[in-house]
Amino acid sequence: MGNEASYPEEICSHFSSDEIKRLSKRFKKLDLDRSGSLSVEEFVSLPELHQNPLVQRVVDVFDTDGNGEVNFKEFILGTSQFSVRGDEEEKLRFAFSIYDIDKDGYISNGELFQVLKLMVGDNLEDWQLQQLVDKTIIVLDRDGDGKISFEEFSAVVRGLDVHKKLVVIV
Amino acid sequence: MGREGSRQSGVDKGRARARLYARLGRRRRPRAGGIVRGGIGRFGASRPWATLRMERGAKEKNHQLYKPYTNGIIAKDPTSLEEEIKEIRRSGSSKALDNTPEFELSDIFYFCRKGMETIMDDEVTKRFSAEELESWNLLSRTNYNFQYISLRLTVLWGLGVLIRYCFLLPLRIALAFTGISLLVVGTTVVGYLPNGRFKEFLSKHVHLMCYRICVRALTAIITYHDRENRPRNGGICVANHTSPIDVIILASDGYYAMVGQVHGGLMGVIQRAMVKACPHVWFERSEVKDRHLVAKRLTEHVQDKSKLPILIFPEGTCINNTSVMMFKKGSFEIGATVYPVAIKYDPQFGDAFWNSSKYGMVTYLLRMMTSWAIVCSVWYLPPMTRETDEDAVQFANRVKSAIARQGGLVDLLWDGGLKREKVKDTFKEEQQKLYSKMIVGNHEDRSRS
Repeated sequence: MGNEASYPEEICSHFSSDEIKRLSKRFKKLDLDRSGSLSVEEFVSLPELHQNPLVQRVVDVFDTDGNGEVNFKEFILGTSQFSVRGDEEEKLRFAFSIYDIDKDGYISNGELFQVLKLMVGDNLEDWQLQQLVDKTIIVLDRDGDGKISFEEFSAVVRGLDVHKKLVVIV
Repeated sequence: MGREGSRQSGVDKGRARARLYARLGRRRRPRAGGIVRGGIGRFGASRPWATLRMERGAKEKNHQLYKPYTNGIIAKDPTSLEEEIKEIRRSGSSKALDNTPEFELSDIFYFCRKGMETIMDDEVTKRFSAEELESWNLLSRTNYNFQYISLRLTVLWGLGVLIRYCFLLPLRIALAFTGISLLVVGTTVVGYLPNGRFKEFLSKHVHLMCYRICVRALTAIITYHDRENRPRNGGICVANHTSPIDVIILASDGYYAMVGQVHGGLMGVIQRAMVKACPHVWFERSEVKDRHLVAKRLTEHVQDKSKLPILIFPEGTCINNTSVMMFKKGSFEIGATVYPVAIKYDPQFGDAFWNSSKYGMVTYLLRMMTSWAIVCSVWYLPPMTRETDEDAVQFANRVKSAIARQGGLVDLLWDGGLKREKVKDTFKEEQQKLYSKMIVGNHEDRSRS
């Protein structure tokens, strides 16, 4: 797992060393097989997280190097985006990347559909979902390229006090 | 550490008192009733000397002393998925939404935040391990976060170990041995008597005496509240479950019929002896699975007014005494009067929680006997019966809330069985269903396709 004392300097996050200690304790507790990184199964072993339909997306966003698991550095950087001291831009980027599955900087029709599908499960027909997706894209797509860019996303979402909504106390 | 400076005289007095108590292993009388806070204990504004000493030592050495959050009860307003998402959509714009839009990009905020909150600290898994205390009670087993600070403290701790293991432990083992053998011998002897008032009288007193000896063996200091509400014949006594010791604690103050599985070994011997003197309800392993059989036997027992009240722990497993988890509805379907009992242990003197995945029964008992003491409060709540418009689950939840409120515990809807099993997918499907109702509800109103 490495020497914890060196982490605050290596990883620049919004956390105080006290908070990082707490997070590292939590990380160790979640890491059931002591592999040094958290897999989706380990996240989902928390009953309240198991019932969250977006857990897979959140883990993917945390997993910046794409190896399917979240190591300690990714954990700290990921949760730092939810810190009280984080700025609005950071949080908007996080929300955007939940939708942007292939990380190309645009939310395509297919990606929006997939995320919506995660949230509703089998309770809606595909065509109903597709209607919702098409409608959203038509309304929000200013430059007519059929996808939603980060600027178009922020224009809609910026006014919603997101820096208060996407905040978690460590 | 600004708190220390502002209450100097109180802290000094408190420190001296706490030092004395820590050395003697005694405690102040707890307040009767009221909310009990785990962790801070009943020393009021001053924290025990050991912790203060550590904090001072940490400050001198200039490193942070990590402290877990207090387990105080912070009641969150229960808001539903729909309310929270509407709140997110509404914020930032002053106009009221007259026709709720179907889907907003901001809806993911709700799930993301909930997910992150759970990753930081979830309500369920922390109930299955011992409670983390804010102040140290000189037992190394509860020492999660404190490191070596000073020689004086270590010496004190060493002295504590000596006293506990060499002086208290042999005494307690001797008492326990006496208590159990008396129970077995006594109940067997009583069993030979013909059925009648005399046999019942003797049986009751043999049981009570032996349980009281066992209570002394554990040095359990118990405060019973509201004893006028004690369970009567033909009723069912339900309580929150923290450890097997709960049984001894309750049975030393009242005469109950136990319910449980037949065990082998020493437990089996005790069970067979006990049932000779008075009718306890022991189930074979195979019968436990058959819920109807269990319900039938319990109903028969309860309907016979001459039989003793049944003692049941509806959580089904041991929880760490900071919360009450889901009550299994089986005992609430029978239709008898339910007598709820709340049991709250004081963690300052010993941690009573049995983490069965970590410790076996013998190790657990040894740990109990080498703590300072087991201090707990027992509240007998007024009896409850099922209302006509309630079903068993609602009734169980009502009883659970009453127990949680009295004992100062967090009331959770999660199943204690999650200690060993994975949560079912139905919870996620429920959330998905709720959300899709939100975005489709208006969809159906639309006249054009």
